[in-house]
Amino acid sequence: MNLVLSDRSLACLEENRSDLTYLDLSKLKIANCVGCFGCWTKTPGRCVIRDDAVKVYPLIAASDRILYVSRIKYGGYDTVMKTILERSIPVQQAFIRLLDGETHHVQRRVLPKKATIIGYGELSSADRQIFCRLVERNAKNMCFESHTIHFCSEDEVEDVVRREVASWTRS
Amino acid sequence: MDKVLILNASPRAPRSNSKEYAKLFSKFYHGKTEYLDIKRTNHAALIEKLSDFSDLLFVFPLYADSIPVTLLNFLKDLEQVTPARKPTISVLINCGFIEPQQNDIAVEMMRLFCKENGYPFGSVLKIGSGEAILSTPFQVFLNAKVKKLARSIFLHRYQVFQVTMPIPKRMFLKASSIYWEEYGKRNGCSKEEMQTMLIEGK
Repeated sequence: MNLVLSDRSLACLEENRSDLTYLDLSKLKIANCVGCFGCWTKTPGRCVIRDDAVKVYPLIAASDRILYVSRIKYGGYDTVMKTILERSIPVQQAFIRLLDGETHHVQRRVLPKKATIIGYGELSSADRQIFCRLVERNAKNMCFESHTIHFCSEDEVEDVVRREVASWTRS
Repeated sequence: MDKVLILNASPRAPRSNSKEYAKLFSKFYHGKTEYLDIKRTNHAALIEKLSDFSDLLFVFPLYADSIPVTLLNFLKDLEQVTPARKPTISVLINCGFIEPQQNDIAVEMMRLFCKENGYPFGSVLKIGSGEAILSTPFQVFLNAKVKKLARSIFLHRYQVFQVTMPIPKRMFLKASSIYWEEYGKRNGCSKEEMQTMLIEGK
């Protein structure tokens, strides 16, 4: 499944498409993770907060190609995208494994995925450097088998998304 | 007189490990400290207090490889305001993994916030195995590093420290499994149930 998760509306994806699922996170009601560990130790695989996030993280797990579109803040994802990433921990178990010699959580039924991340905003070189290192870390915890990062200004987002999605249909 | 404002940015602040780390810091710091939780509704009140303090210590857990949204949203509000006096910002961060360096990205994000907004950056303590270390004999190592962090801030000789359980990774895996099994048991959840591969029942 091809999935596009965006923290802003993308006019280029508004028409119904059969080749991908597109979610504008800014239109969903998603509360902050409260760190209760319920999704690991009470109702494993299910978040105890029953808002729109419970429809999103199963899609992330089931996707084998994913595009994240997020504003960058202090070298990381801004609030909208970071909130869903934090609420997605039901896709992992509490238990720890070794991966590339480092400790990480065991994944539940999460498909390995080709990830593309479009980070936008007025970005300094420090923002870009930190974000690249962050995505390297994410790759281990979010099951990326490969990843590509594109940086752009807010005005360029639609064009970059259009090009990226077109490349999916070609490949 | 130097004073440290300790802000807990854990999403579960009142019952968080971060609160316990903050308590330890207050115990070992030789000057005055004040402790407060960051809540969604108290950003303005916290920011108003900043000018009264020489140092600000953020205590928080690593969330999804970076700073938690609770802290991100506070920093975004903080950058809208210029306090009369900008305290030096230090960081005490913990993650559940054994490698304290898994906290590095979050620390770099805090450094970037400070650079972009003209706050002096102070000391750092990166804690690994932070979910469990408080309930093990290895707390003595943690205490020693929190003491060093407190001293470095008191003397304004800012440094970077890290601490974790001094055990092999394989042993850590076993210990963490026991920790989480016990956690689940308290909630009436077996190890097998916790190991389900299903997400939302599918």
